[in-house]
Amino acid sequence: MDVLLNEEEEMVKNAAREFLGGECPPSLARAMEVDDLGYPPELWSQMAQLGWLGMSLPESLGGQGLPLTYLGIIMEEVGRAIAPVPFHSTMVAALTIAADGSQEQKQSVLPRVCQGDTVLTWALTERDPRFLPETIATEAVEQGDNFVISGTKMFVDNFGAAEKCLVVCRTASASDGDQGISLFLVDTGSAGISNVPLTAIARDKQSQVIFDNVSVPRSNLIGQINQGWPVVQAMIDRATVLLCAQMVGATRKDAEMGIEYAKNRAAFGRPIGSFQSIQHLCADMILWVDGAQLLTYEALWKMDQGLPSSIEISQAKSFCNDKCEAVVRSSQVIHGGIGFMMEFDLHLWFRRVTSWTMRLGTSFEHRSKIAKALLDQPGRVRLGMNLEPVP
Amino acid sequence: MEFAYTAEQQALRDEVQRFIQENVNEDVRSEIENTDEMSQGPLVRDLRKKVAAKGWVGISWPKEYGGQDGSRIDQYIVEEEFSRIGVGVGGAGSGAPAILAAGTEEQKKTLLPGLISGEITLALGFTEPQAGADLASLQCRAVRDGDDFVINGQKMYTSSAHYASHIYLMARTDPDAPKHRGISIFIFPMDTPGITVRPLWTIQNDPPAPIGTTYGQRRTNETFFEDVRVPATCMLGEENQGWYVGAMGLNLDRVGASRYLISVRRDEDIINWAKDNDLGGHDVSQDPAIRDRLAELWIEAQVCRLMTMRSMSLMERGDTFTYEGAAEKVWAPEHGVRTTETISQILGPYAQLMSTSEEAIEHGLFAHNLLGSFQSGINHGSVQVMRDQIARRGLGLPRG
Repeated sequence: MDVLLNEEEEMVKNAAREFLGGECPPSLARAMEVDDLGYPPELWSQMAQLGWLGMSLPESLGGQGLPLTYLGIIMEEVGRAIAPVPFHSTMVAALTIAADGSQEQKQSVLPRVCQGDTVLTWALTERDPRFLPETIATEAVEQGDNFVISGTKMFVDNFGAAEKCLVVCRTASASDGDQGISLFLVDTGSAGISNVPLTAIARDKQSQVIFDNVSVPRSNLIGQINQGWPVVQAMIDRATVLLCAQMVGATRKDAEMGIEYAKNRAAFGRPIGSFQSIQHLCADMILWVDGAQLLTYEALWKMDQGLPSSIEISQAKSFCNDKCEAVVRSSQVIHGGIGFMMEFDLHLWFRRVTSWTMRLGTSFEHRSKIAKALLDQPGRVRLGMNLEPVP
Repeated sequence: MEFAYTAEQQALRDEVQRFIQENVNEDVRSEIENTDEMSQGPLVRDLRKKVAAKGWVGISWPKEYGGQDGSRIDQYIVEEEFSRIGVGVGGAGSGAPAILAAGTEEQKKTLLPGLISGEITLALGFTEPQAGADLASLQCRAVRDGDDFVINGQKMYTSSAHYASHIYLMARTDPDAPKHRGISIFIFPMDTPGITVRPLWTIQNDPPAPIGTTYGQRRTNETFFEDVRVPATCMLGEENQGWYVGAMGLNLDRVGASRYLISVRRDEDIINWAKDNDLGGHDVSQDPAIRDRLAELWIEAQVCRLMTMRSMSLMERGDTFTYEGAAEKVWAPEHGVRTTETISQILGPYAQLMSTSEEAIEHGLFAHNLLGSFQSGINHGSVQVMRDQIARRGLGLPRG
């Protein structure tokens, strides 16, 4: 038991912080908000050269084969720097292909991910934004050697920049044996796709993506037909814990900016950070982000070890949703009017963290899962036990 | 990072659990139930001796003073298991770490083995009627007289003074120095002439709080010192450096199994109760609002656990806290209060019934916990003082 970073993890963190500190100023995030592509390809290649894109992908496919915890640490630093790169969506799709794709699919996609030659994304959510198989209405109908996809996906990240997208489709109605869900790797340039940008408070690249009779070869099916829901669940879990890491990184930086401002801003003849009301708020901000970080690390570590981790992930995301929001809001409060001004940088963090609290599961959804595990199965609970999810 | 116990640590936990099963029978349980949990009836005293003989007390202390040169995590595991049955085996609060850090060879050799075997127990004599949160303004005087010091003053909330063998006392040795720099610490026997202990009864006394209640202590004391003459060799650390010695000990005593568990046990209790029970047919475990709140509290309890693990990890590495001990001491007590107040709104009028009431749920545990849980946010440094420390020492914010 040692919940602190070890020497190697600390080195990875410091190297990432140093690199992004030099190469990724807030002005870059600002510029990419109004850029069509939405990310700087030079930075993406540099990240590939540093080995970040292949961090937790298999060595045989050009990756480094390091534990997911290392990728989480990089994700945290990318969040800290609010680096405008399609890192999260690419990693989520790549890790899913690495885990559940065929040898051919892995060979054709993952080496290019590691080299920074491609951007990936994934499309799951539809009108009902919950993470349940019954919300999937987008159909993939078998036609000869192809599947033909029709339906509308919401809140897809970086679709315009992505070369390929994992699309969660319904291929049958739910039966006793499975949920009738299948996962396809779709070229984003395929005929029949329209990309409608969404304007979200993060000013990131989210889209509504409409699939109108989009034909995909059978060889692009990930895993088994109709058996895709467990693959999707694992993808959601990875996406969620990595988003938590990103939130923790961005939130800690945001808290540090609030604390720094409190040291320097004077009112009533003294720094506002000398007032206890501000001091105690700052203390709480650090405790909240520390709690979010510890929960996130535990979830990442358990997932990496192949232990049941979905309850730990829900713990982390629910806490991140509530407390990261509380931190970034508090930092805005400490800054007063200036934090509300477009020309001041603080809102770059505030808007992103706030947006991320609404992605990949609300606090209510995650707590509902935890409540089921706590209350709807036999046996006594004890703190520190492994809590298994209830389907 | 490594979020699991090693196989050896898991084996130790299993062994402690087996030991408890074999050695804590109904008679021992009944003695724990029926005496103040801090006190030592004959059976519990016996149990403590057996635990010490296993080498399970002060595991992380040096071997030469009765410890095992072992891991702080191992010590945590033993403390957790015994704390769950209402027996403290941690090794004596904030006194022992201070003795280890600041004691003379002679003090270490005479006090530490006794603290391990349970023959020596320390009452904490810090707080005074006019010195609580602002402890450094304490007035109890120790005046040098040849090779002795003569002590006069009054201490408050000296909880174990009526049975402890020794007192761990903070007194002013230089009234002209700045207040933090004129304090020294003394450890001496409670049977030294001139000491009077007067009971102070808490709101948990009548009816008595059930075992495991957060701050279920029925009694504490005020202790008076009238021309108490002690040899200068009783001083711990250097003269006028007592503030720093004491603060360091307090800092280390703010973390660990017992402090964490008093704030999270009710989370387990209410969930386990709700799984198996109902209120006249109403199953509270299926109420959506209650389910959401219980899950939220469960997550908070994980944060308490992880903050404790963070403190343990730091100690295991031999690092010192900047603010992490204080962080644990803010988060856990406030969480404990949120949980116990939530339970009162889950159980409604049943949560007010105390231990002697036939109709009380869990022998009135939740009612008594409501009376005691806020105390954990006050004792050993209030959460407000802890936040001051986090802000100033942890974050470098300026003094007002």
